Formats: sequence, C-alpha cells, structure tokens
Amino acid sequence: MAEDSFLADDFLRELMSVGEVDLLVGIPSYNNASTIRQALQSVEESLRQNFVRERAVILNVDGGSGDETRQIFVQSSERRDAGHKGLTSLRTIHRIFCEYDRSPSQGLALRTIVAAADLLRARACAVIAPTTTNLTPSWVANLLRPVYREGLDFVAPLYVRSRFQGLLARDLLYPMSRAVFSQRIRELYSDEWGFSGRLASQCLEQDVWHEEAVRTRPEAWMAIRATSAGLKCGQYFLGPKTAAPAASGPDIVEAIRQTVGNFFWCMETNQPNWIGPANSQPVLTFGPDHELSSDGIPPSQEKTFDLFRSGVNELEPILAAILAKDTHAQVKTIALSDRSKFHFAGELWVKTLYEFAASYHHAVLNRDHLVQALVPLYRGRLYSFLLEHANSSGEAMETQSEILCQEFERQKPYLIERWTAKS
Amino acid sequence: MKEVIIQGLSQAYSNLVHMFAEFLPRLLVMLVIVLVGLLVAYLLKTILRTVLHVTRLDRLSEEAGASRFLRMAALPSMTELLSRSLFWVTWIGFILIGISVLGVAGLQDQISRLFLLLPAIFVAILILFLGLVTANFFSRAALLAAVNAGYPAPKLLSWSIRFLIWALAVSMALEQVGVARQTVIAAFSIVFGAFMFGLAIAFGLGGRDLARDFLERSLSEKKKEKYEEPQPL
Repeated sequence: MAEDSFLADDFLRELMSVGEVDLLVGIPSYNNASTIRQALQSVEESLRQNFVRERAVILNVDGGSGDETRQIFVQSSERRDAGHKGLTSLRTIHRIFCEYDRSPSQGLALRTIVAAADLLRARACAVIAPTTTNLTPSWVANLLRPVYREGLDFVAPLYVRSRFQGLLARDLLYPMSRAVFSQRIRELYSDEWGFSGRLASQCLEQDVWHEEAVRTRPEAWMAIRATSAGLKCGQYFLGPKTAAPAASGPDIVEAIRQTVGNFFWCMETNQPNWIGPANSQPVLTFGPDHELSSDGIPPSQEKTFDLFRSGVNELEPILAAILAKDTHAQVKTIALSDRSKFHFAGELWVKTLYEFAASYHHAVLNRDHLVQALVPLYRGRLYSFLLEHANSSGEAMETQSEILCQEFERQKPYLIERWTAKS
Repeated sequence: MKEVIIQGLSQAYSNLVHMFAEFLPRLLVMLVIVLVGLLVAYLLKTILRTVLHVTRLDRLSEEAGASRFLRMAALPSMTELLSRSLFWVTWIGFILIGISVLGVAGLQDQISRLFLLLPAIFVAILILFLGLVTANFFSRAALLAAVNAGYPAPKLLSWSIRFLIWALAVSMALEQVGVARQTVIAAFSIVFGAFMFGLAIAFGLGGRDLARDFLERSLSEKKKEKYEEPQPL
C-alpha cells in the first residue's frame, strides 16, 4: 500500500484495531488548544444525532502543536466516553490522534486523513477546521450526508458572506474555476469539505503530495481531481462562518500565492481535461447557492490604489514579460487615471488573468514570482470593485459577479489560444 | 662629441626603421589573422545556429527546464547562447594567435599561460553564470516582496541585492582564475564593507526619525493604525 511508507507504525496499529468504518471525520490541527474541544464536541454530537447506526472514527491529525491540543483532544474524548456510557450501543465512535509531522501542512494532514480513510474503507469523510468557532453538529452532518446517502464524491461548503468578504474567491477563483473546469463550485478553497472513500483512494494513488501546491492548499486539487475523474460534486449551504481571531486567514499576498498558485498548478496538471469550449454546469446544491449579507461597510482603500499604482510602475519589466503588449498598455493607462474615476473593467481583468495563467504555463519566469506579480493588479481590481459597489445591494453585486463569470467563459478561447501558443 | 651624438641618433633611427620594418608585416599578419578569425567565427556561429535550430535544441532545453534558468538570468535562448559563445571563443583564439605572431618578448609565455588557464576560466564563467541567475532570482524576489508590502524604494533594495551577489560572484570568478587574488579579496572586502557602512550611515542619519518613531511605538506599545485589506478568502 502506498500509505505504508509514510504512516507511523503506532498510528497504523491504532487504525487496524479500529477495523472498517462507515464515516471518518478528520480534524487537522496546529496549536488549536482553545478551540479543538468545541470542534470535537460538535463532531461527536453530529455523529450521535445523525448517524446512529454507522461506525465512525474521528481523527485528529496534528502538525506538531506546541500547546495542549493533543491533551485536550485525548482527555475530552475520554471524558465524553465516560459520560455517554450505555447510550452509544448502536454505534462505535473511535478517536485517534496522530502527529503527522513536526511542522503544519494542510497537504500532509489531508494525506494522512485520506490514507486512513482508504485503510479503514470509510465510505464518507469530512474535514473539519477546529478554527471555526461557530461549528455546529449540523455542519458535519451536512458535509457527510450527501456523500454517504446521495452518493456524491465531493461536497464543498457554502457560507453566508458579507458583501466585502471573500473577494478573491468571488472575483477570481470562482469565476475562473467555473470557466476553466466547467463546474460551478463556489468555495473551492475552504477549511471544511466532504469527500467519498472512492475519491480518497484515487487521490492517495496520485504522486503529487510532495508538490508545494498540494502541500499548502490540497482541497481545491481534490475537488478538481473529482471533476476531472467524472465523479459527482456538490455543495451544501452551511450558513455564516466565524473563525477564531488567531485564524483570520492569510494576508492578501499569501492568499494569492497559495490559492492562485495552486489553481494555476491544477490547470497545468489537468490540462487535457479542460482544454475545450467553456460549458459550465451547475453542481447539485443543497440550500441556496449563495447568500450575501447586507452587513459590512466598504473598508477604506486609499492605500490599495497606491499599492496598485506603485506596483504597476515598479514591476513594469516583470509585467511586460507576463502580459501581452496591448494588455500591459491598458493596465498602465488605467494606473495613471484619477483615483476617483478609476475603473478596472471585467474584460481587462479576465484577459489579464488568462495571460498570467498562460505565462505560468510557459514558465516565462519563476512561477512563484509570477503569481506574486499578480498581487498589485488584484489590488487594482479590488479598489475598482469597492469603488463601484460601495452602496450596492447584495443582489446587485451578485448580478455583477454573474456577468463576470460569463465574461470568463466568453474569453476562454483566448486562454486556450495563449496557453497552446508556442513560447 | 657631436659626431658621436649624430652617430648614436642615426643608429637609433636605423634601429627604429629596422624594427618597424620587421614589426609592420607582423602587425599586418596579425590584423589579417584577426579578420580571418572574425570571418571564421561568424561562419561557425551561423553554421552552429542553423544546426541547433534544425536539431530543435531550444525545445529540448525548454523541456529540460534549462531555458527557464536562462530566462531568469535574462540570457538569450540556448541556441543563441551556444552559437555566440562559439563565436567569441573562436575569435578570441584567433586574436591570441595573432598577438603571438607579433613576437613581443614575454607575450608568448603569457599566451601559453592563458591557454593553460582555460579550465579555470571555464569554471569562472560557470560561477558568473550562477551568480547572474542567483542575483536575478533574489533581486526579483526582493522587489516583489517590497512592492507587495508597500515598502519605499523597492528598486533600490532589489538593486542592492543584485549588486551584492554580482560583486560576490565576480570576486569568486576572479579568484578562480587567479587574477590578483589578494587584490580581489581586498577589493571585495572594501566594497562590501563600504556598502554596509554606507547603509548603516544612511539608516543612522536618514532613518534617524524613522528608527526613533519605530522604537517609540514598539516600547510604548502604541500601535499605529494598521492598513487592513478585506479578507480575501
């Protein structure tokens, strides 16, 4: 077995003592002592309430926490076992702790989870983030149920978003992934998702776990893998999400390096599956497919525009190597415009992104550098978006998002042309 | 006395004429060799370029990932690089042969020594190439990081890093070929030291207020209002 080479002997022994299970819930952790107890309680509660007869295992995969994450996981498990004695006769909920490495890596954590799922022949699995502070038992059930009962292979979450939250996902990742991979999965990059044992086994066989893109953000790769293999994908509306203050997510530069870098890498490695006309299909969605809350005021973004303008100026030779002459000229022109009338049009934004993707493919320069060069341009687009939608309603913003998605699909032939052109 | 002087002068003049008479044909021969060398080098370059185009070396280089390194170092394609290298190696070889024809005392030995130095020169060129690639990589990384973090004068930072790596690579390359070892080490130490000293002074004087402000804020724990962007994910 592939997993023999990297799973520790003790961990393997624990897995073997569990035998086969129906459900597996993985909780990747790293210094989450303050929140893991609540996550564990929600998971256990969910399994008790919703999967009475199923055999289940909760797996805490830890990246070398220096705090008491491990002790809390083990102790709260023991305490709850004692408290529920006699009430759990219909099911077996096992809890296993595993330290996969001395340093945290989402990819290594997921690899451990899928290896365990494969070994235990789990039918449905879910990954839960201990940093989510409003995690409820229904979340876990909603990620597991479509896989376990409806036969889906990948279930992405859907969250309520405030109008000015998650703009990278709304303005870049969702519309581009929809146009390129033809699946309308809104939250490709999230901390919670569900997947089938079948998908786990397929993913485990792939020789990609050492890749930086998979080590940092494996979830989108898993979804794209499912799409490419013709497996069934869906999404479940979970409601609003709040994260612990310490886990408010990466900053804009790191987020772009992780997600856009990962997305371009997925395009590169799945090339045969997406070269063709854009024909995006909706995926099975449980609940509303989006919800923008009207709260949230547009943040002051004076500096965002300054960073865009200085970025376009300072990175001119780098952008010239990445973008087509015409596109570069347009970007330089808008960078000179008055900030109050600034507008980064959707058409130019799509063209820019497609040229970045093609340049990534042709490796015109170091790929990580290339992705970082996108940051100032994203800031320009962000500024334009905030300027345009300062007073827009959620519906109006959603309409604009849909128009942008269609623009991505309309320009897909241009992406293919640039992608397949000889460098 | 006067006759002796006149005789000496006429002797010197005739020697000079004799020397020129001997030197000029050699100079002409040297020029001919250099010109022929130029033609031969150009011809070889053209032939090699054609052959490499036919054998699609650039494609192979692209697939092997070597082209990426060349682009990172702002160098031309593999075909162009090899054909240009052949041109220069050939022409320099002809120039050296031409110089040896001049028969200048001591120069012959130097040229022979130069030919013996060729392996070291090759290593030095390799060091320079790696230095160029490294300098490009790190200076670009610094430029991107500084631009994205909104630091002032990102190009200055980028160029400083590029300069430091170049200086290190050049001094290593010169040391490899054994050119004035002590001088090179001393020169590098002076340049590097001066650069760091200059930075220290620049920060100490130019950034005095900035440093004070930074320390005040750090010690008094008064946080300046942080620039925050909306959560991207």
